[in-house]
Amino acid sequence: MAVIAEPVVKPVPRFRFILDRREVLETILVAPAILYVLLLVGLPLLLAVYYSLSAYTIYNPTWKFVGLANFEQILQNPTFLDTLRNTFIFTFGSQLLGLVLGKFGAFLLLQPFPGRKIVRALIILPFAVPVALATIAWQWMFDSLYSVINWTMIAAGILTRDEAPNWLGNPYLAMLCIVIINAWRFFPFAIVIFLAGITAVPQDVIDAATVDGAGFWRRNYQIILPMILPIVAIGLIFGIVFTFTDLSIVFLLTMGGPGGATSVLGFAGFQTGIVSGDVAHGAAISLFMLPVLLVVVIFMLRFIRRREI
Amino acid sequence: MSTGKYLRVTRRRFLTQTGLTLAAASAPSLATPFISRALADTKSLSIVQWSHFVPEYDKWFDQFAKDWGTKNNIDVSVDHIPVANVAARAAAEASAQSGHDLFGWNGAGGAHLYRKFLVDVTTLVEATEKKYGKVSTIGRQIGYNQDNKTWSAFPDFYINFPAMYRKSMWDEIGMKPDTWDDVRIGGAKLKAKGHPVGISLGHSNDPNTTWRGLLWSFGGALQDADGKNVVLNSKETVEAVKYVAALYKEAMTSEVLSWDDSSNNRYLVSGIGSMIVNPISAYRTFQKANKKGADDTFVMAPPKGPVRQIMGGASEFYGIWKFAKNREGAIEFLKYYADHWPEAFKASEGYNNPCFANLVPKPMPILSNDPTSTPADKLAVLQNSEQWSASPGYPGPSWPAVDEAYNDFIICDMMAKAASGQMSAEDSVKWAHGQSEAIFTKWHGKT
Repeated sequence: MAVIAEPVVKPVPRFRFILDRREVLETILVAPAILYVLLLVGLPLLLAVYYSLSAYTIYNPTWKFVGLANFEQILQNPTFLDTLRNTFIFTFGSQLLGLVLGKFGAFLLLQPFPGRKIVRALIILPFAVPVALATIAWQWMFDSLYSVINWTMIAAGILTRDEAPNWLGNPYLAMLCIVIINAWRFFPFAIVIFLAGITAVPQDVIDAATVDGAGFWRRNYQIILPMILPIVAIGLIFGIVFTFTDLSIVFLLTMGGPGGATSVLGFAGFQTGIVSGDVAHGAAISLFMLPVLLVVVIFMLRFIRRREI
Repeated sequence: MSTGKYLRVTRRRFLTQTGLTLAAASAPSLATPFISRALADTKSLSIVQWSHFVPEYDKWFDQFAKDWGTKNNIDVSVDHIPVANVAARAAAEASAQSGHDLFGWNGAGGAHLYRKFLVDVTTLVEATEKKYGKVSTIGRQIGYNQDNKTWSAFPDFYINFPAMYRKSMWDEIGMKPDTWDDVRIGGAKLKAKGHPVGISLGHSNDPNTTWRGLLWSFGGALQDADGKNVVLNSKETVEAVKYVAALYKEAMTSEVLSWDDSSNNRYLVSGIGSMIVNPISAYRTFQKANKKGADDTFVMAPPKGPVRQIMGGASEFYGIWKFAKNREGAIEFLKYYADHWPEAFKASEGYNNPCFANLVPKPMPILSNDPTSTPADKLAVLQNSEQWSASPGYPGPSWPAVDEAYNDFIICDMMAKAASGQMSAEDSVKWAHGQSEAIFTKWHGKT
């Protein structure tokens, strides 16, 4: 009689049953992201809040609680209010300019022309180039002695050397320079956002508008722009948050000069907290960004939710 | 026959294989503590310092440190970082309680700010003083703690800020910039000829140093000798600020408002500038770019003010972290380095000036007889620069409040605001005094 071997049933590990449960697996998979946010964003933020309420300095690393004394001292300093104003001008000025350039760039890149793909790839370069490298290149363009912009204008007979603008020596021009550089870095991102938005608008909507007699401006500002506003707003949130917290351009180009005309919150916080070793005051200066950014982000997200179609 | 059954990625298969991959990838890091312990038996010494303005010095130092390591069976590594990154690197290392063994600071800040993190090097400094003479005033202002009479850093060298002027241009108007008044009067004449004076009014180390020197030469100062009180709002300071406003209008170019530390070097090399105040790196750069122009450039002690002849200086000093892995090695290296300091002096082409009186006996090599200069004794005046050099805290000590006033460019802005007409001299001084007093009050509560 033939004996038929019975298949051996391997005991299934208990662990596998646990992983088969959807809610457990979801938790395990999402845990790294939550841990990342808690450890690398949440914890430093709480630490910064505590620093700002303490007397912590590198000279005397004490955790002594001082309440809101650091904030009071900062607000009493008139220079700080200038810094706050500069930060707003820098942020919103560069975002506005970046958006305008981005919109024009997107329209140009939507038109068919030979080499469009190469131009589309090249236009991303300002966004991809390291900020240090880009700022140094701009530094030479705005240099007091060897400015290529001034040199060109002098060579073209538009200006004499005495009339040439002192880009980084005049308070208003210096602010304009950092705004231009940041807008130059931001506009490729704005182009991508606009291109993505415009190409997502259904062609039949545009065709219908055209048939109804809508011209270029009406199509763009009454049909396309309202439809892509949510995606533009998301891009703008990124731009505002990154610019408001940025210190690299100012640090590399002007060091807050001339006479504090380009000092922004990120730079002032770095100089006070890290370079001068007053960590508590540095943290307090930096935390002034938090309520502003919170209000801007909440406002824009609410706006996006209302505009969603 | 392939059924595709085994190729399908199931959830279980994904998790098993991902888990195994992660375990394999993390195996080396799990073993790291054991490997590190084994490596710790090999002695090492790590040094970090700024990238010197004279690149040849860095080459010499790296080889010197490596040779010392070979002799003592120690693996030495030297990292050079941009001068602007020194403060941030120090803060990062102190916060992490980890980093290099030996930390080289440059300019303001450092020794006194980080004293709780640094090894007391009093014995080392005193032993070096016995061997090579007293530490100069500028060396003492940085590393010495007046309150408990200890040293928290080893003074390496200081950088002086002499005046450099184009002799042919000044000869043409029959003057020499001996005093600040001469600079203003002669500078105005030379500006009319297309050769303005160039002293930065921007935000960087050079103007921070130069304008402090001018302020002291007029009898003004940021703080008193004890470092307790801000004394900026004085008649002397107002006079100094009025002078700078006049100098800017009459003898300088508006470009100076945007200059960084290298701008005046370029200005001199361009052939436009008739005078600058800068370490001799500007002269060395000029020598490499245009020998004829450099030969016409003369180096002199800073111009005299109504009260004294003095100029700011920048100090370089070494601190040993308390958390350093090789403290003994760091101390031994500094002893050896001090014994060979004249070599460092030569390698820096006379840029590094000794903080100990007899470290480089006079006549000093290079400065007393520089074969690259015409005449060869052109730099001889720099041998006595310790007599007219002072650190930012003068006449008091350097301490965190002085550093913050320095890092906030308060003295530069006080001069610039008056020069550019944003404020009157009196208002500008009041503004600077208020800013400084807020900083001093804050730090007095914390130190």
